[in-house]
Amino acid sequence: MMNPRSLVSIVDDDESVRESLPDLLKEFGFASQTFTSAEAFLASDGISRTECLILDIAMPGMSGPDLQRELKRRQSKIPIIFITAQRDESVRTQLVESGAIGCLFKPFNDTALLDALNAAFRVK
Amino acid sequence: MAFSDSAEELKHLKRAMSDLVSVLALPAVWSGQEPRQIVMTFHDALMSTLDLDFLYSRAKFEASVQPIKILRTAPLSAASQNVEKTLHTLNRRFEDAPQNWPAEERGHFGGQEYSLLSLPLGIGGEIGIVVASSARADFPTQSERMLLSVAANQVTVALQQARLLSEQKRIAGELEFRVAERTLSLAAANVKLRKEIDDRKRAEEALRASEINLRQIIDSVPGLVCTMSPAGETELVNRPIMEYFGKSIEELKGWTLGNNDAVHPDDLPRVISDFRHSITTGTPFETELRLRRADGVYRWFKNNGGPVQDTGGRITGWYFLIIDIDDRKCVEEALRASERNLYLTINTIPALAWSARPDGTAEYFNQHYLDYLGLTQDQAQDWGWTEAVHPDDLDGLIDAWQFMTNADKGGECEARLRRFDGIYRWFLFRTNPLRDESGKTIKWYGTNTDIDDRKRADEESRRSEARKTAILDSAIDCIVTINHEGCITEFNPAAERTFGYRRIDVLGKQLSDVMIPPSYREEHRQGLARYQATGESRVLGKRIELTAVRADGTEFPVELAISRIPMDGPPSFTGCLRDITERKQAEQELRRSEAFLAEGQRLSRTGSFFWRVATEEIVWSEQLSRIFELDPSLKMTLELIGSRMHPEDLFMLNDMVEGARYGSDLEREYRILLPDYTVKYLHVVAHGTKSNDGQWEYVGAVQDVTDRRLSDEALNKARSELASVSRTTSLGIMTAAIAHEVNQPLSGIVTNASTCLRMLDSQPPNIEGARETARRTIRDGNRASEIVTRLRALFKRKEVATEPIDLNDAAREVIALSWSELQSERIMVRQEFDEDLPAVRGDRIQIQQVILNLLRNASDAMREIDDRPRQLLIKTECDDGKNVQLTVQDTGVGFAPDAVDRLFESFYTTKQEGTGIGLSVSRSIIEAHRGHLWASANDGPGSSFAFSIPHDYSSEPN
Repeated sequence: MMNPRSLVSIVDDDESVRESLPDLLKEFGFASQTFTSAEAFLASDGISRTECLILDIAMPGMSGPDLQRELKRRQSKIPIIFITAQRDESVRTQLVESGAIGCLFKPFNDTALLDALNAAFRVK
Repeated sequence: MAFSDSAEELKHLKRAMSDLVSVLALPAVWSGQEPRQIVMTFHDALMSTLDLDFLYSRAKFEASVQPIKILRTAPLSAASQNVEKTLHTLNRRFEDAPQNWPAEERGHFGGQEYSLLSLPLGIGGEIGIVVASSARADFPTQSERMLLSVAANQVTVALQQARLLSEQKRIAGELEFRVAERTLSLAAANVKLRKEIDDRKRAEEALRASEINLRQIIDSVPGLVCTMSPAGETELVNRPIMEYFGKSIEELKGWTLGNNDAVHPDDLPRVISDFRHSITTGTPFETELRLRRADGVYRWFKNNGGPVQDTGGRITGWYFLIIDIDDRKCVEEALRASERNLYLTINTIPALAWSARPDGTAEYFNQHYLDYLGLTQDQAQDWGWTEAVHPDDLDGLIDAWQFMTNADKGGECEARLRRFDGIYRWFLFRTNPLRDESGKTIKWYGTNTDIDDRKRADEESRRSEARKTAILDSAIDCIVTINHEGCITEFNPAAERTFGYRRIDVLGKQLSDVMIPPSYREEHRQGLARYQATGESRVLGKRIELTAVRADGTEFPVELAISRIPMDGPPSFTGCLRDITERKQAEQELRRSEAFLAEGQRLSRTGSFFWRVATEEIVWSEQLSRIFELDPSLKMTLELIGSRMHPEDLFMLNDMVEGARYGSDLEREYRILLPDYTVKYLHVVAHGTKSNDGQWEYVGAVQDVTDRRLSDEALNKARSELASVSRTTSLGIMTAAIAHEVNQPLSGIVTNASTCLRMLDSQPPNIEGARETARRTIRDGNRASEIVTRLRALFKRKEVATEPIDLNDAAREVIALSWSELQSERIMVRQEFDEDLPAVRGDRIQIQQVILNLLRNASDAMREIDDRPRQLLIKTECDDGKNVQLTVQDTGVGFAPDAVDRLFESFYTTKQEGTGIGLSVSRSIIEAHRGHLWASANDGPGSSFAFSIPHDYSSEPN
């Protein structure tokens, strides 16, 4: 069952994403916190409380997949939903094969996000 | 200069060209003229060509000569009202050192305002100055300035040539004068010598005559006879005694020594003493004494006496023979004096004198002779002197001497004698026999005269004659001499060839009939006649050009220099002629081709130059000076060129000079900045060659490409605007990356819109939240539509192609493609490529797009930089063995520290014309290649952008 107050963390260097996603997640019934970079997320104390991670692929510094590898190395089980403006099917395939819940191409519709979130919490 | 229409411009151009041609023709007029004439014609030409109010020149050649100062004023000009004052003012104004002369200024003369243009004569004005002036405000126009400067150059060259010519003439004249003088003094010395020898001969003859006379006198002396008693009293006297003393025998009887005044008182004591001795001892008496004649005159006598003895041996008396020796005594005395005199003479005359016996053996040498040979009288005796004769001459001398003695006739012979110091000199041996009354030779007298100088002079004169003949024969110029009547006296082989006459056929003929065309003959005759009458000549000492005629009647131009042969007597002349047909043609050709070249350079706005790197010698064409707007008479130096360089491009000059030391060919485009702040764009191409001495020499052309560059710039601008579009279009492959930029805001819109709908659908509807998200949606929508409008047509989706890429090659291609753009921005590109760089995998075009973008950004960042070189460094390296890195470093404006985060944001730009998508797109591309793109500020000015890509990309990602 979906925990209405579960914490979803958003890591994206794009401001419009960090601005708009929390409201939508709130409508879905999630709590959320946003980070501008992978490094900022790793440095925060929110990792342990994060139940799902919405992660941008291309960012300055550490990329989304870099963070995914780092979390895997730390034995973290946080389910990850990748979002990317780069519409590349081969990347999505690779990412899903490497354990991601999904990969949404920006702009994605709210239903697709909700499906992915549901999938993430089902895994959990 | 602006012209109302092309017809006007053409007219003006024609006028300027024809003025230029007339100025260029001046040197032909000046050939052979005096400096003052040159300056005068220069003034005539310029005053008649240009609209000047006055023209002033000052020219000086030697410190000792007063400078030529000439002022020419236009009639009716204010300057012509008070010429003295104007001249005085100008003299004072330009008395200074040349560096203080104003090039152009406006000043007052006689109450009228004038524009002055001054041009130094000679490189640094060392010859003088020309000042042109006009009351016109627009004076000098560009073409006037050019004409004046060309004319000033021409007159400088002509003045220098004139000085050279006069110097040559002066030296030649001096040389001829010295030779003539030496010849005259030698001739005079010979005459003197001959006279001395004649005098000497006369003296010898006089002596001989007097000796003969002496003998005759002695022979004819009548004897005086008298007898005396044993006691010494006069007993008998002969008639001559009576006649002598003027006494009768009665009066004379009883005379004894001392009882009368017959014996000279000075002689008396001696005579009495001797006589008493003889009487006492009975020994013969012999004495010389003076006896007083009847008229009171004492004469010398020789008195011989002896005792008369009887058979018993008793002395019975004395007899005396008294011979008048007075004449002999006098002669002896005279002879002694004369001999003393002769001895002195012989020993002091600067000739070697000697005497010899009839058999030819030497008897006497004067001291001078002995000193000369360094021998003693004994050593030289007989044949001893021959030791000093030059071995080569000895046989000839002995033969000649034997011939003379055998023939018993005086003569002469030349031979070398060795001086005491071992030096041989030529002598003329002259001998004369001394004969007795019977004509028999009793002695030989001789003198040896030093003729060494004459011998040498003769030899020299023979050589000089031979040289002259050789010069005449081998001279390329025709050399013809004529006498005062105009008849040909010499006609050398060159003249034979040129005129087609044989020397033998023209000698003695009138020059005018042979070589001068009929139409000029009368003029020639008049000129010769005028010279004979007045000494005035229009042609002497000058180099003139005129027309001559050949044997076959054809006429041709010659250059002629006539000089008078410096000899006494009626004047004769030597003329040096040269057929200048070819030179005339060549001059004409040269003038034409120079005019063509100048016109060509002017029309194509191309100047040329020659540059010897090591000596920094630079020769510029006039057009190049015109392009640089520099005085063509200035000596070109790198400093002078540097002073015209645009400050931003000065480094290019230094760069070229550096490159030229190694002979690299030059091709550059750079700007010059003229004093009026006009900027010109120049394109220089130069090729270096090594001269014989191993130094680099450049010959190059410089084209004024300002017009083209300005239109190029306009075109370039259009092109780059187009390029920024087509660049992205052509990169359809980049669509995925571009989509990132577009999808980012779209993502926000969609999310906000969805949220908004959900807020409205919720119970109760969250109106406030919906309004907020709707507001954001609209904001992002507007932003996105802007982007979409810009990019919509540009991108389309395509899969990323991957292939191995050599980053160095890729970068080189981009640099090559951007070269002209970088050049036009005056950017120096430096490359530091790691040649061992491993390949990366990816899309070549995309990577090149990134490099191009970084280059363009660097170039744009340096666009406003004027205070330092615009340098761009592009560097590749393998950073940690895993990544390949490319860095582009500029010296541009850089970025503020807080801007670094925003640099890569889409549509973030500091550039007016930028779309702001370049860096974010580039970053997307690099990230798509699993790489990073970042920016950093330099230690110095500017910034660096770099990306690194893993070279083992094929194994990624996993």
